[in-house]
Amino acid sequence: MTRGFAIAVAIVCALSAVGATPLAAQRDPAQRDPAQRGIAIDARMAEDLGLAVGARVRISAKPGEPGESATIAAIYERKADPAEVARREYRVRLHLDHLQRLMELDDRVDRFAVGTRVGESIDSALARINHVAFGFRAHKSRDVAVQSSRTFRVVERFHTAIGIITVVASAVFLLCLLLLSVEERKRDIAALRLMGISRATVVRAIVIEAAIVSLIGSVIGAGIGWIASLIVNAHFQELYRTPLVFALVTPEIFAFATGLSLVLGIGSGAAAGWRLVQSSPLSLMGR
Amino acid sequence: MRFMMAWATLRRHPARTTLAMLGIAVAAALLLDMVMLATGMSESFRSLLLTRGYQLRVSPKGTLPFDSEATIDGAGAIVRALRANPDIKAVSPTLGATLTIDGSRIPSAFTLGLERDVQGDYTLEAGADITRADTGSAAPLPRIVVSQTFLTRAGHAIGDTIMISSGLDAQLRTAARSSRVVIGGMGRFIYVPGETPVIALDLALLRQLLGPSYRDRMSLAMAESRRSDSASVEAVRVWIATTQPRVTAISTETAIRQVEERLSYFRQLAFVLGAISLGIGFLLVATLVTLSVNERRGEIAVLRAIGTQRSGVLHQVFLEGLLLTSSGIVGGLALGLVTAEWLNGILRDFPGLPSAFNFFVWSPNAGWRALALLLTSGTLAGLLPAWRAASIPIARALREEAIG
Amino acid sequence: MIACEQVVRSYPMGSAIVQAVRGIDLCITRGEFAAITGPSGCGKSTLLHLLGAVDVPTSGRVLVNGRDTASLSDREATDFRLRHIGFVFQRFYLMPTLSASENVELPLAEAGMDKRARKARARELLGYVGLGDRLDHRPTQLSGGEQQRVAIARALSNEPALLLADEPTGELDAETGVRLLELFGRLHRDGRTLVFVTHDAVVAQAAQRVIRLHDGRVASDTLSNTRSGA
Repeated sequence: MTRGFAIAVAIVCALSAVGATPLAAQRDPAQRDPAQRGIAIDARMAEDLGLAVGARVRISAKPGEPGESATIAAIYERKADPAEVARREYRVRLHLDHLQRLMELDDRVDRFAVGTRVGESIDSALARINHVAFGFRAHKSRDVAVQSSRTFRVVERFHTAIGIITVVASAVFLLCLLLLSVEERKRDIAALRLMGISRATVVRAIVIEAAIVSLIGSVIGAGIGWIASLIVNAHFQELYRTPLVFALVTPEIFAFATGLSLVLGIGSGAAAGWRLVQSSPLSLMGR
Repeated sequence: MRFMMAWATLRRHPARTTLAMLGIAVAAALLLDMVMLATGMSESFRSLLLTRGYQLRVSPKGTLPFDSEATIDGAGAIVRALRANPDIKAVSPTLGATLTIDGSRIPSAFTLGLERDVQGDYTLEAGADITRADTGSAAPLPRIVVSQTFLTRAGHAIGDTIMISSGLDAQLRTAARSSRVVIGGMGRFIYVPGETPVIALDLALLRQLLGPSYRDRMSLAMAESRRSDSASVEAVRVWIATTQPRVTAISTETAIRQVEERLSYFRQLAFVLGAISLGIGFLLVATLVTLSVNERRGEIAVLRAIGTQRSGVLHQVFLEGLLLTSSGIVGGLALGLVTAEWLNGILRDFPGLPSAFNFFVWSPNAGWRALALLLTSGTLAGLLPAWRAASIPIARALREEAIG
Repeated sequence: MIACEQVVRSYPMGSAIVQAVRGIDLCITRGEFAAITGPSGCGKSTLLHLLGAVDVPTSGRVLVNGRDTASLSDREATDFRLRHIGFVFQRFYLMPTLSASENVELPLAEAGMDKRARKARARELLGYVGLGDRLDHRPTQLSGGEQQRVAIARALSNEPALLLADEPTGELDAETGVRLLELFGRLHRDGRTLVFVTHDAVVAQAAQRVIRLHDGRVASDTLSNTRSGA
């Protein structure tokens, strides 16, 4: 959590505390501050507090203090950052010197973002900064991103684990159903065998049937999944007021699901069929 | 006799029965996990918050405890006011900051400034507790308590002396304020993520290190109501909110609600996956029992012919479904506990979570709830095939069997 | 004991209506041993089902001990079958998961008899049919003839007034079939009323009375050439 953000929150607290009263409500011109600075607020805050570009507000670093006036110069849409989903804070942006002055921080910052020239080595720049650093360290943006993406990686691992459990359950379910389906037709299969149809042909027929069922099932399932993803996205985007996409059905996902379903279906069909043709036709007839 | 017949019918086809039980077990395991997930987070967080008995948190206005780096000014007056309230049993002020550590494998550590006698942030597991800052030159070095992660990552041990500093000036390459301290003990920090190296020291010492601007600041205070019932706690909370306008007072329930809101995705996921697993179990039982009934039409018609009432047949088939479900549940509960441990281990890796926080928490309540849901599902699943079995037209079924 | 008055039974088969029984008048008295015979599809089994209150006539009446079977609710008909009718089927229809004794106990359990009494009665009945040493055998461990004997013991469990058998020798070899008919003869000598269905005219001669059906009607109703028990 950066200090700048914390300060932003404090500002918000102040705004909240004083009710973010637009300056227009304050009639006494003698109390107006000179040189109003512009600030930017996020869209959620603008919507909730009924603020628009040009609105005048008072901001302070400490709750209860009168602070100073500012004008809303811009309203921005927050990034679709999963780390911020379900967090209901508002965000405010100020010019650096404005915030420093407000917080009485003189020449302090939380961090620098450093861009190297084209062709310059990032590693050597990093090493040079860290060599002279005292009380701070430089990190590659990629490393920071890796660290802050840990949340997604945990969620990803969790989803993968759930996926594995679901696949296992589906495989067992599929095998059980195919076994039942095949056993239900054991007399028909016995009749085929008595007619002279080979075991291999019977198993092949069952496998083809299982493959077709799996294919159709996975197409239907993908359709249901796609519709569900629309519902999920609409729901969570509304709930968390974010443009973030929560569920996505891509061609790769569809291909993976279909492929897996086919493999499971064919395997289950083969297992069920093979098991059945091991019995003699007469015993299948119940003799 | 019906029970025996039902069980014998299931054993007639061991392969399919075993597969069905396995399928039900997996569905049951998933359902149990989802029930544990739905209830576990709030249970875990509640027990976390109440570990040391403090039911209220006082944080900077509009923030959750340690949700930002904002601090409360005039901390002393606020703490005195709280302690003066006869309804408040104890108040523990806390200040959080990051201090640098000289000559250590880690450059800095998250630091908590606490009052030892009332602190509720850690339990001492080895060594000695923190000591108050002593201004005398002949005084022994102040003692600090650190986390196991700190010891491991910093490469220190209990008894080591370290230098902690604050107010680093990059231009002058000096620290404005430093102090030599002794690592007196190792503690388990309840609210700090396990992967974060953390130091606890005396509040006054930390304020001293952070400089004059922090002389009278705190990050939050924990308060314990003398009476623990929710009405009394709420009354104290309201009193704090009314008399201390610069802070936000949050009860355990409010804090739980807010954390649940942030983690609501998991509750909703739990609901959806739980429903799906119930559906899978339902389908498995319904399919198996239906097929079993179809296979035994002649047998069932004979039972009816020799004098078994419709209700008897219905009970018989219904029992088969219930037995199947129950057998799967037994395995499923055991499997569910194993998978819960696995899934919990994955989610515990979330950055910033207190080390004692769990997503999947077993409780008898969760177990009973899962069991009730599964049994209901199994019951309903067996009802339709049972009713169909009981409604088999006897003469027609016998005729069809004769032809077949 | 059993009276059929212009009994008709028709049922749909696909898009057609099949009249299995076309206006049969019949009377079977207590202690009688009758065989219903005829070619396949002549309505023998349908008539047997009507006599046993398993089915109800489309028109006409079936009176068993004075009670019109069509007037019985399903519950009453089932209870009636449990206590007054014993059924034996061509394919035995023993519960494969139960032992011989347990199969015989089934109707007794349904009638509410306690376990100890059930076991004793089952033992007695199996002894009566010559299977006293096969109490714990599963049907798969018994021969066809033995299975049919267990089925007969089951049919006798609640001391029914009427024993109905549908092609009881149909699945048995000739020698076993003869032995089974001898058992039937013994049951008749012991005072029971028996009606069995067979397509085999020779087998039908084992009964006292032979009722021959043709195309859903009684073609002939005569005393058999051989006495029962022969």
